[in-house]
Amino acid sequence: MKKKLIALIMAGVMAVGLTACGGSAATSTDAAADSGAADDAADTADAADTSAADTGDGIRLLNGKPEIDNQLQDLAKKYKEETGANVTVETIGGDTSASDELKKMYQADNMPDIFVIEANQADTWDGMLVDFTGEAWTDDTDYELTHDTMGVIGFPYTVEATALAYNGDVLEKAGVDPASLTSPAAWKEAVEKIDSQKADLGLTAVFGWCAEPANLGWSSGTHVFGQYLDAGLKQDDKTYIDLLNDGGQIDEARMKDFAEFVGMMNDYSDPDLLVDGTYDNQVKGFAEGKYAFVTQGNWINGTVTSNENYSGFSMGFAPYAFEDGIDTIIAGPPSYWVAYSDGNVDAAKAFLQWVSDDSAQDILVNDAGLISPFSDCKFDAADPFYTSIKSYMDSGKTSGWHTMLKKDGLQNETCQVFADYAQGKLDADGFVSTIGQVIKTYYAEN
Amino acid sequence: MSDFSMSRKLASFVCLIGGAALLIISLIMDASKSGVTYRGAFLVIGIIGMLVGLFIFPTLKYHRTLMNIVFLFPLLFAFLVTVSIPLILGIRYSFTNWDGIRFTKEVGFDNYIKMFQQPSFIWSILITFLFVVVNMIMVNVVAFLLALLCTSKIKGLGFFRASYFLPNLIGGIVLGYIWQFIFANVVTKLTTAISGNRYSMLAETSTAFVAIIIVYVWQYAGYIMLIYITGLNTVPGDVLEAAAIDGTTPIQTLFQIKIPMIAPTITICTFLTLTSAFKQFDVNLALTNGTGSVADFMGAYLTNGTEMLALNIYNTAVIKDNYALGEAKAVLFFIILAAVSILQVRISNSKEVEL
Repeated sequence: MKKKLIALIMAGVMAVGLTACGGSAATSTDAAADSGAADDAADTADAADTSAADTGDGIRLLNGKPEIDNQLQDLAKKYKEETGANVTVETIGGDTSASDELKKMYQADNMPDIFVIEANQADTWDGMLVDFTGEAWTDDTDYELTHDTMGVIGFPYTVEATALAYNGDVLEKAGVDPASLTSPAAWKEAVEKIDSQKADLGLTAVFGWCAEPANLGWSSGTHVFGQYLDAGLKQDDKTYIDLLNDGGQIDEARMKDFAEFVGMMNDYSDPDLLVDGTYDNQVKGFAEGKYAFVTQGNWINGTVTSNENYSGFSMGFAPYAFEDGIDTIIAGPPSYWVAYSDGNVDAAKAFLQWVSDDSAQDILVNDAGLISPFSDCKFDAADPFYTSIKSYMDSGKTSGWHTMLKKDGLQNETCQVFADYAQGKLDADGFVSTIGQVIKTYYAEN
Repeated sequence: MSDFSMSRKLASFVCLIGGAALLIISLIMDASKSGVTYRGAFLVIGIIGMLVGLFIFPTLKYHRTLMNIVFLFPLLFAFLVTVSIPLILGIRYSFTNWDGIRFTKEVGFDNYIKMFQQPSFIWSILITFLFVVVNMIMVNVVAFLLALLCTSKIKGLGFFRASYFLPNLIGGIVLGYIWQFIFANVVTKLTTAISGNRYSMLAETSTAFVAIIIVYVWQYAGYIMLIYITGLNTVPGDVLEAAAIDGTTPIQTLFQIKIPMIAPTITICTFLTLTSAFKQFDVNLALTNGTGSVADFMGAYLTNGTEMLALNIYNTAVIKDNYALGEAKAVLFFIILAAVSILQVRISNSKEVEL
């Protein structure tokens, strides 16, 4: 009898344990389901034709830019103040991990209402994204993402620019006008001129260009490679990206010119940075005035201006003029916010409309340092690159971020070719033929 | 068995039926995608109700079985959810064009054929085998020498043991980044002075591969050393003493007595290093991320010179967004590892019989 009693007690303990586990599981699904339940409630509310905002339902936003997490939390707070609706911001760092995380969320039936995608990921979500056609904000911007079958799906939350970022003070002292850098010959002359005065200007090298593949593959493989695809083209000109996505073809003549230009960057770059450098050292070197040019975009502004040795020099962008007459920089949204069609669509639409308006733009532009993609935005970005970017935007000399449309993961292959070229294992012709083969194989295999 | 009261029978049936009803309701709610939050509670209470009903069912015959099931359940459930189901789903997905979200068609063995047509994948398999063989030898030799050192009568034994074991306590990712810094700065200064090549070891495929081996041996030798120390300590003192009286040299003692006596330990350590080297991922990811060029392999220029099997699978699925192909590669990986494990069990069993 005693044994039975003990067995019963044990079973009781187990059962309590199970309920406890069950309980905690229930609460965690609760928290997660909270928004789910809110969605459902919102759906019913919609059915009853009441606005979602009135019911105070929450939406979830998955952000892929860790550096603006705080500002987005402020944004959510402000939205709550103004409309009473809840927005929960979840942040995931890095570009690829966000898309991977989203797939897990999808499998777990735990999708956020608004999430971040890059342009080439749109097909993955075919049929699951909300068409924003007719939303008021679409009239105020040229940068929305449009998909063949789903319509207007991407909300641009920022404009980023990339080209050769220059140190204005150094160029002025060296007597080089960045506006004149629109041909390979002009570049060569300018680079030689700066190189000869390196000691006077306090420079380590003309270029802070880093082709290290393991950690900086995104820089060479996506951004610098993007110049081959877009430099000199109009914002919506997709000539070379279409060629690339058609089985991985390249225009060899253009690639050759590009290779020559990259070769010049290799020759005049800081050799310690070129093959083994890091992003931190690259940006730090630029901030400390050691490099006249750096191969990054305006996202480095915060790191540069907060460096203790930053002298306050002016900054701007010069085009990768690897062919005569190239005078554009790449500018546009590198990623977009999209809304999940099974989520709380109306609340998501309302929120995005609000984000495109003044009180939200105030936070995004002035606090987060983003450049607004909206033409009716009345704030000038605090970004030190803003004047330069604005002048390109105003004169229509911006090219698209079509590099984001290349096949996912290609940058991890091409970056190795850049690295070999930088190490001197390949010459310009070798670069062209090797990168051509690598791209072709990649498109054939994946 | 008439001593069971009517009320107990009744309670048993009520619990059983009530439990079953709750279970079914919760499953229906799940199937119909109802957002009711008490669904989970229904499920748990239903299962408990059924168990209680079974327990007080008017017979004691199955009590032991029932108890066994209840106590095994957490483990079995966890195993099922984290191992069995994903394995079956993974094999299933490898025959489709799954992209991590959904699949639209069955492709048969296409993924399996495709992976063997990729020179980069063949390369990954080859260097993984090379890595395994080199490491199996290196780790064991280094660990054995360290173990000899740590069982000798030198001063500061505790310090040496602790410091050799310490690297094993640092996670592979952290270790990878630390060593990346070391290779890119300190080591580069040395190699530049020696060879005149100003780039780091990580910039060249062959030297980067050596770098991974160095880090891995550094990380893993301390762990294997501990097992060897235990093995060496089990060598009976009287045997050693007898040998000493017979006038053996230390070398003779080592090769004729110590090593034969710890043969089972050597088997265990060999297989431990074998399986863990096969699964090498974190140091590989953090240190080189698989980069490194191979100028000409099977007629192709490869960009994944140091990418080992596990990392290749990860990159195929997650980075290149080709989940189905990644699954197919993972199935092959599973088969290789399963074969190694079975071999290991066989050999250790036969060794045990021998001794």
